[in-house]
Amino acid sequence: MTVDLPTPRVGPLQDAAPKPMRLVLNWGRRYSLWVFNFGLACCAIEFIAASMARHDFIRLGVIPFAPGPRQADLMVVSGTVTDKMAPAVRRLYDQMPEPKYVISFGACSNSGGPYWDSYAVTKGVDQLIPVDVYVPGCPPRPEALLHGILRLQDKIAAEQLSTRSYADRRRLAGAVTRPAVQEPGAGATRVPVAPVAPREARS
Amino acid sequence: MTSATEQTPLRDCELDGWVETVQELRGEGFDYFDWLTAVDETDREESPGFDVVLHLYDMTPGAVRGTLLRCRVPEGTPVPSLTSLWCGAAWHERETHEMFGIEFSGFDDGTGLGMRPLLLPDGFVGTPLRKSFVLAARASKPWPGAKDPGESGDTPRRAGRRKNLPPGVPDPSWGPR
Ligand code: SF4
Repeated sequence: MTVDLPTPRVGPLQDAAPKPMRLVLNWGRRYSLWVFNFGLACCAIEFIAASMARHDFIRLGVIPFAPGPRQADLMVVSGTVTDKMAPAVRRLYDQMPEPKYVISFGACSNSGGPYWDSYAVTKGVDQLIPVDVYVPGCPPRPEALLHGILRLQDKIAAEQLSTRSYADRRRLAGAVTRPAVQEPGAGATRVPVAPVAPREARS
Repeated sequence: MTSATEQTPLRDCELDGWVETVQELRGEGFDYFDWLTAVDETDREESPGFDVVLHLYDMTPGAVRGTLLRCRVPEGTPVPSLTSLWCGAAWHERETHEMFGIEFSGFDDGTGLGMRPLLLPDGFVGTPLRKSFVLAARASKPWPGAKDPGESGDTPRRAGRRKNLPPGVPDPSWGPR
């Protein structure tokens, strides 16, 4: 049984809010990021290290281990996204309330990483969901995640709230719009193509 | 357990005697099924096909030993299933089936659903561990690494540098990259 729940959005009231009010709202949001860790492989260990006492991203206002995507503002995809896992990544992203942000942590979720040639690995999580900040590395150090969080907070501080959600204004990677490759000549080998989640065309 | 320097003994058998040889080994005490897989040897000169490989353990405390059994199977020939000897062989046979396209006759894992994929995503067509399976990502997207000289486009491509493409990498007939 599936239940259709409306996606919570930033309401029109905030659009009409005066500028000081917006500043306060942005300030509030950037220092209260409930993070949902989509740990899929080795990079998740570095994410966990970043949440522990030495690096401690809670001091930046990032609160880890949200009970579920419905309570989270930020999703950190850390690890190898496979084509089999892709629908789950997309579904959990869709369950997050607006405004929502995504950090892609590590080479695998940025582009497929060392497994780029694989028949089963998605070539970057940005084929499925819009990504705000990419953190490079295999795995990136916890400091790199802290830097990525700071960059995201800068982005949120500069954000203009509007009735259209922030996520809708972003583009996806152009590569996914390419048509599927056809094998030259007739043959039975199939062409593995990463699944592209259905989405509306974005300007 | 066998150490790294110590070779696990390997036996070869004919496809006709597959189940009999396995039963024989089981009679010798190798009654713990470890894994079953295949190796693509379809590019061999003599008797091309797939090597179906089975690893068994004798778990006698203090005297644990393992053994390998190998059997060359021509392409398209079904292999008798071992699910009647070990129920756990079902997962390994399903994986070998989806990865190499090898059929297993008499497969029965007690569900009545027959042979079906195990790990691959729904709707996946093809047998990815065969050498003939083309990993077409390089034909559809530019390789983000650009590690080989001349691949990044900032240096003129050196002539005469012949590349041997590993199995699975699409050849130039797939179009420019
Ligand atoms: S980027 Fe490297 S460390 Fe991170 S998940 Fe991929 S392989 Fe593992």
